[in-house]
Amino acid sequence: MTIPATWEPLTDADPVLTIAQDLFSTMIDGEPGHLYQWMGESPSLEDSRYAWVDVSGPVVTRVMLMAGRATGEQLTRALLQMDDSEAVSDADFADAVGEIANVVGGNVKSLVTNPGALTLPVVTHQEPDMSTAFCLLETYFGWKGAPLGVSLWALAS
Amino acid sequence: MKALVIDDSRVMRRIVSNILVDVGFETIEAENGQVALDQLEANDDVALCCIDWNMPVMTGFEFVVAARKRPEWRNVTLMMVTTEGEQDQIVRALAAGAHEYVIKPFTPEVIVDKLQFLGLVDVKESV
Repeated sequence: MTIPATWEPLTDADPVLTIAQDLFSTMIDGEPGHLYQWMGESPSLEDSRYAWVDVSGPVVTRVMLMAGRATGEQLTRALLQMDDSEAVSDADFADAVGEIANVVGGNVKSLVTNPGALTLPVVTHQEPDMSTAFCLLETYFGWKGAPLGVSLWALAS
Repeated sequence: MKALVIDDSRVMRRIVSNILVDVGFETIEAENGQVALDQLEANDDVALCCIDWNMPVMTGFEFVVAARKRPEWRNVTLMMVTTEGEQDQIVRALAAGAHEYVIKPFTPEVIVDKLQFLGLVDVKESV
């Protein structure tokens, strides 16, 4: 018998913020305090990129990271300890942003009862078609003054 | 001492390798479990494998199971370094033969503490 996953604990932004702050303080900034909840209206993302992992199960659930290209490049430089002046290749960008989505997704999954398997990360320039999906959560964080979005979706089977 | 870093993310391989080099390891890398098995075949002096779970071709868990079937590799220390943080996943990996388990995200200190616990790094070593 397959027991459905329970995602209710994550429909509040706080656990996701805690996960993201843990990731940023340990692997990106090297200290806490640089990632915060974005207050006010949902921001627009310039030249946006999308990175996600799916959690399989009776209902496939997607954990998606959204960031502007420039913010994604800053994240890549921070993860790889690159200088601000160093160019970020598309391969490093996709790898770094995909890994951030993977770590957030994996930690979100660990908070859920009866989750399925985690897929490999996907990174795209095009926003994926989520017209048949149900949004469980969409929240924005601020990092170095720029917005970063995280959303949680139940996909139609 | 030589370490094999197994992760499909080049970024993560670089991060883990940098930590290991800082405490005196020579590192080689593999992007999935199958390449890692090939690397173990080609390098008989690997003392430590740091292993991601979710990878294409062969997962980290499948790698642990395959590596533990080989008596000549019984002295190789296997440490999972993964986002898979559920209790049952940890128990599965340890039961299959992994020695330690690190959940991403991690700090360099967490990795070094585990290596000290495993006796692979002197306590005086620091990152």
